Amino acid sequence: MEIRGLEKSYGATVALAGVDLRVEAGTILGLLGPNGAGKTTLVSIVAGLRSPDAGRVEVCGIDVARAPHATRPLIGIAPQDTGVYLPLSVRENLRFFAGLAGLSRATTASRIEQVADALGLTPLLGRRTAQLSGGERRRLHTAIALLHRPSLILLDEPTTGADVVTRAQILELVRALADEGSAVVYSTHYLHEIEMLQADVAFIDRGRVVARGSTADLVRDHGSSALLLTFFESVPAAARVDGAIVEGASVRIPADDPAARAAQLLPDLGADARQLSSIEIVRPSLESVYLAVTGRRYASEPAEAVA
Amino acid sequence: MISPRRVSVILTHELRLSIRDPLPVMVLVVFPIITMAFLKPAFRAALEQSGYPHANGAEQVVPGQAVVGAFFIVSLTTFAFFSEFGWMTWDRLRASPATSLEIVLGKAIPRVAMVGAQLFVVLGAGVILFDLNIRGNALALIPLVVTFSISLVLLGVAVTALCRTAQQANSFAYVGMVLFGAIGGALVPFNVLPRWAKTVAPATPTYWAMRGFHSVILDGGGLGAMAKPIGALAAMGALFALVALRRLRFDEAKTAWV
Repeated sequence: MEIRGLEKSYGATVALAGVDLRVEAGTILGLLGPNGAGKTTLVSIVAGLRSPDAGRVEVCGIDVARAPHATRPLIGIAPQDTGVYLPLSVRENLRFFAGLAGLSRATTASRIEQVADALGLTPLLGRRTAQLSGGERRRLHTAIALLHRPSLILLDEPTTGADVVTRAQILELVRALADEGSAVVYSTHYLHEIEMLQADVAFIDRGRVVARGSTADLVRDHGSSALLLTFFESVPAAARVDGAIVEGASVRIPADDPAARAAQLLPDLGADARQLSSIEIVRPSLESVYLAVTGRRYASEPAEAVA
Repeated sequence: MISPRRVSVILTHELRLSIRDPLPVMVLVVFPIITMAFLKPAFRAALEQSGYPHANGAEQVVPGQAVVGAFFIVSLTTFAFFSEFGWMTWDRLRASPATSLEIVLGKAIPRVAMVGAQLFVVLGAGVILFDLNIRGNALALIPLVVTFSISLVLLGVAVTALCRTAQQANSFAYVGMVLFGAIGGALVPFNVLPRWAKTVAPATPTYWAMRGFHSVILDGGGLGAMAKPIGALAAMGALFALVALRRLRFDEAKTAWV
């Protein structure tokens, strides 16, 4: 998949402001960004569900906007909202989309068996979808995108609302699909999922790609450990040391050894220490990369709490 | 290029969904038969006054209630689209290899079959249960029923195109059923309608359907008598298709409550 100069606005709101991306076969690209960053718009345009204002998307060398019916069989998408036919059984849902993809009866049967096995749906195949739990529906939703073994798989926040088991199964499957040669675009606001997948990362912020690279490279280049102090009301003057970033009632202090920095700083707080609500040590991670490239703390990722 | 295979996949899928919730389809058939039972005596006198001294009332009430009942298909057609938004499957469907036209055909064809079957079953029930006497060539009703069924389903697609919410579409469909049913001479005999209603009646599909039914059932007509009603219904169907083509936007977000 190759994206060049992609732009999209909704009235005065800019969703994408010139995005360039490339995803090779056999790789996973984690699209990371907070809610409203433009991830869903990007995925929708790649799937041909929305038209861009400018720029182009090619899948296997074919322009998605010019030849949508040539690219659709190459793409498998699991949109952000769980979309399944509640009155039908799991098997009937899978059969319907396999039929639309043009799979033969025999191929459909074997593919259903495979995706159901991979996502733990085998015992549920005969069950009516309305009777499934939210996590089970999410697995079916994801399975539908994979039935026809697409070259490009678009998963838009696939683990939102999923239970722990579902999340683990989806992550394992994504890794396996990439190993089998599919290009996977995995949109999420959960940083640790991308760290677990060891995927390439594109940080999207306000419609732009603000950082791009492998998880390891980005963490090495931009990640730094830090001490994060949160106070009940406001950050006292004693905590506003050089290099500290104040955000509301929290202060983030970059430090090579956050524990030692905490030991050094806490006595300086004096009576203000009683206003502390928590002390956190933030390890070098995608979260610290996000902070480094945007200057803002990533909203959806809790740091490691030590107190 | 339309893929018959994909149309057939969607069509089968729509039938399966309808079977899982058969009540709306049953209403199509049961509602007119129930209303016929208590409306028939009232229409006997009305038909006698209209110059049909040997009529028993079934000649008006059977096709009339069949036509009013058939109008439910407008609502069911809109539901076929709006339910996709309720199940959040619309984007999935759009992202599949199926084209917009294939999706519309896959949803429309089973509903044409449903309403066509409804009309024939209700007419058959009229003959068996309510002594409906068809004086003309009963086979002439086939093209009338088919054309009327297609025009109603196309009206449903056009209503879907014009409405943003399922509530809007339902309101439009039900108001249309009562209004078109009354003005078109399906709820009450055409002859008793006020002059203004008779003037606007030809603008409704129910009027032309009822005119076709009357030509065969009451006046003993055959295929020749069907030309004008079928032509008018076909023209209306074309108009509804044009509205649907111009206004149905597949990337428009609609809302449903299911």
